[in-house]
Amino acid sequence: MSADFQDFQRAFGRHLRDPAHTPRPAGVPARRMAVYNELLFNNIGSFLDPCFPVCRELLGANRWLRFKRAFYRDWPLDSAWFRDIPRDFVRYLNSDHARLPRPRWLGELAHYEWAELAVDLLETPKITYDPAGDLLAQNVILNPALMNLAYHWPVHRIGPNWRPRKTALSCLIVYRDGDERVQFSEVNPTTHRLVGLLTTAPGPGRQALLSLASELQHPHPEQLVEQGRSILDTLRQQGIILGSHP
Amino acid sequence: MSSPPYVTPQHPQGAGLGFRRELIGALRQGVPDCIRFFEVAPENWAGIGGRSARDLREFTERYPFVCHGLSLSLGGIAPLDEALLRRIKAFMREHGMTLYTEHLSWSSDAHQLYDLLPIPLTEKAVRWTVDRIAQAQDILGQRIAIENASYYVAPPGAEMSESEFIRAVITQADCLLHLDINNIYVNSCNFAFDPIAFLDALPLERTAYLHVAGHYVESDGLLIDTHGAAVIDPVWSLLTRAYQRLGGDLPTCLERDFNIPDLTTLTAEVAHIARLQAAAAPPQRRSA
Repeated sequence: MSADFQDFQRAFGRHLRDPAHTPRPAGVPARRMAVYNELLFNNIGSFLDPCFPVCRELLGANRWLRFKRAFYRDWPLDSAWFRDIPRDFVRYLNSDHARLPRPRWLGELAHYEWAELAVDLLETPKITYDPAGDLLAQNVILNPALMNLAYHWPVHRIGPNWRPRKTALSCLIVYRDGDERVQFSEVNPTTHRLVGLLTTAPGPGRQALLSLASELQHPHPEQLVEQGRSILDTLRQQGIILGSHP
Repeated sequence: MSSPPYVTPQHPQGAGLGFRRELIGALRQGVPDCIRFFEVAPENWAGIGGRSARDLREFTERYPFVCHGLSLSLGGIAPLDEALLRRIKAFMREHGMTLYTEHLSWSSDAHQLYDLLPIPLTEKAVRWTVDRIAQAQDILGQRIAIENASYYVAPPGAEMSESEFIRAVITQADCLLHLDINNIYVNSCNFAFDPIAFLDALPLERTAYLHVAGHYVESDGLLIDTHGAAVIDPVWSLLTRAYQRLGGDLPTCLERDFNIPDLTTLTAEVAHIARLQAAAAPPQRRSA
């Protein structure tokens, strides 16, 4: 059962999402409806445009506009937080909803561009750790403001002068440094997996490296642990690992 | 960093300014004396970490902040966003905020539309909105203030005037009024009514907080509530009129969201609010 005033709201919302293909709600003057159509669509754009500079440039103004229009029309938006509008746009681009023709790497490129905003704003718990602790023997404390990402496409190299023609696994860690600035670090798949293990099964570095050796069916696990020590130290120097906790 | 988890609550007083990232650098050099509090939208500032969170905390430890919401959709169709309200409650506690205000509008049907839309002025809409405000007040554990919104379409089928609608909602929900002076002016021009008569018809005795802002005039004369320009004289006059009714004691915020000028320019406008507040006589008690 719906109250009558909600019929107006539904008609209004339908028209706002798709002004070109739905009737203007009864009793609403065209001039005034146009104000809302422009205000609401521009508002969505004000959250998307600054977040995806590379996607915008590569698609060109007209296609970018069509993507924004289709997103606002087709994708159910349920978050009250404005910062989730770009996140939802990435989800839309990587879903079956997005039917506009596009480069195969567009969804991953958009995700990579969004990751900078996401990491910049990530809410993180306060944690205590020993910055000089033994990373093999003690529990490794990862930077909580971090995204450990793997893409099929070399998204970090895509730009106006270069577009990939074939896939190439690209592992990137996006994180906030001690000054709360967002940093990007390209890592190899082994380091990507190691950081993944430290995320899903927190513990001493040695334990994570032995799990990794087992996954890789490494003939000499202790060798990998020794190599791992320098990987962990490098990650600590970068601020991807903060330190350890007994 | 060993700051305590919660900022001591401080209630806003005097004149204030919308807190924006663009202004933080200048505010760090020194907050002008006339700026006695700031206002933030929880939808932009709650639930985040990093630089922005650190910057906000730096100022909430020194100044009162008002929590002014944008996305709650009090007149909307989708169920009230209780998770949002709980997050806002924690955010206000963390930063010592005492006042939460939202718009008397809707921004979602089944899903978010992310802007403020006019509620049809009907009895059913009053009851619907009152229930949702009551629900919000229950979750927050305090009364909220609702803002008279700007609008460009008068939904058809109105059963009452806008001021009657606002009065009905506020009295039935037992909530407070957030009086937006610019919105009254913008609506009065766009719908050709007398702003002073409208102001006088509102339940002003419920006022907790005020807004002033600038707006944009389109080529055909339609006013758009952009918060992107200086406050104009007719809006200052209407604010003066409001202070004649209310006294000058109520906290009043200058909103500026687009074309943001330097802090000196904004400070001149905040100082003007403070002068009007100081010049206001004690509130008139109208015997109707």
